[in-house]
Amino acid sequence: MSKLLKIIVPVFVLALCFKVDAQVLGNLGDVQVDEREFYTMTKQMGQFINRFNYEEDQYGKKLNPNDKEYRNAKKRRDALALLFDLNNPRTSGSLRDFFIEDLTKNNNQFMEFLGGKWFSEVSTKFKWKGKEVDISLIMALEKDGLGSKWVITNVFFSEFQKHFPQGELADREKHFLHPMSHELDFMNIYKIFNDPQIIEYYASTDYQPDYLTLFFYEIKQGNLKFDHVEAVKFHVLQIKNWYFEVSWFNRSGYNSGWLISNLVYLKDNEEETLLKIYQPKQ
Amino acid sequence: MKKVLFAIAFAFFALTGYQAFAQEPELSPERKQAIDSLALEKVRDLSKYVKLIGSKNTPWSEANRVIDRAEELFAPDAEIGVSSLSKTKIEYYKVRKYLERLMRLNYDRVEIDWYKIQYVSDLQRQPDGTYVGVITIFQTFKGYDAEGRLVYQDTTKKDITVYVKRKETQIGGRLIGFWDVLLGDMRVKETTHK
Repeated sequence: MSKLLKIIVPVFVLALCFKVDAQVLGNLGDVQVDEREFYTMTKQMGQFINRFNYEEDQYGKKLNPNDKEYRNAKKRRDALALLFDLNNPRTSGSLRDFFIEDLTKNNNQFMEFLGGKWFSEVSTKFKWKGKEVDISLIMALEKDGLGSKWVITNVFFSEFQKHFPQGELADREKHFLHPMSHELDFMNIYKIFNDPQIIEYYASTDYQPDYLTLFFYEIKQGNLKFDHVEAVKFHVLQIKNWYFEVSWFNRSGYNSGWLISNLVYLKDNEEETLLKIYQPKQ
Repeated sequence: MKKVLFAIAFAFFALTGYQAFAQEPELSPERKQAIDSLALEKVRDLSKYVKLIGSKNTPWSEANRVIDRAEELFAPDAEIGVSSLSKTKIEYYKVRKYLERLMRLNYDRVEIDWYKIQYVSDLQRQPDGTYVGVITIFQTFKGYDAEGRLVYQDTTKKDITVYVKRKETQIGGRLIGFWDVLLGDMRVKETTHK
């Protein structure tokens, strides 16, 4: 119970800090109701980053880098507590406290919009050969020309993945073209095409299928037709030894909008492995 | 010879044009705030127009004129993407179509109000140098029937794209620079807030 209070109290105290009429650039509307829910809501991913770094105050006012409050460790600690999904034990327990402590102890790790290592996962519906299918597009921000743009870095589609199972090592080792095949004008090469399901066993040991190229090919062939976007979330690997996921929570109360929905402490090479999933070619 | 001259002239203008763009200065925090205010002004205009278009007291011809004004706030290819709690798939509308639907809603009286809260994102540059940002606002909508009963209400979050571009115009023989603000795609999402 005391643990629950420890989580809830700071959120309510912060929520109560939001003045209903506080805004920086003048008011737009005239609704005379309690707007605290909207103030506490993390309304844009950009606001998530600003709150994560404490680059804006609790009223949504952007802090100038010369301002003494800018990236203030104590205030950042309070703001960070608001950025987690409090209904999820995975993001509201001791792991969360450890993460906040890690971030604010030296207060030298921040999220950067153009800092790389953060990805958007766009869950979409496509029509594939007449049936509706789920495809996840992984997107990253890339610098280009005078600015930046979102680009597709990978695609997850079960129909692609199922054609490239890892396979048993022992089975893989049985399939090869012997090293003197060239002397026979590769007369034995026909054998590798006898079983199309394992054709990739004859590629280099380092071979990794390029799902993005397959995706583009299927689009160009007219086999895949885009239907709509289902949901968007973000995967962030900018903080050393940490991975977190940010999802949209459309709900009432003081814990809504873009919030951390998953948090994982990464060991040794796990970051590199994850990065390869999101951005196979770097 | 004519062709060569044309090619040289084209290359010269392309190059100087590019340089003018490339030399566009980074925005200072003060400048950004001034541009935010300009962008918010456009959003404020839009909110006023939406209220007028939706109101049953606005005569048909007047509402059509207001739609023209509202349409001018947007880039020509801007679209409105709408989803609700029951229907999460985004429906796309051209700006004019969206506003005309609003004008034709089948209620005897509607109330459209805007919350005081608004959130203005940081401006980011896209590859061609144009700055792009997003302004988030919240709107309540109430529809009443002939007996004055509330038959429909929702609260929507509206994320409006804002394009900001440096332009120049000649006034009295002098070149004057100004920031041109245009609204782009707008995402309309129903929230659980009532």
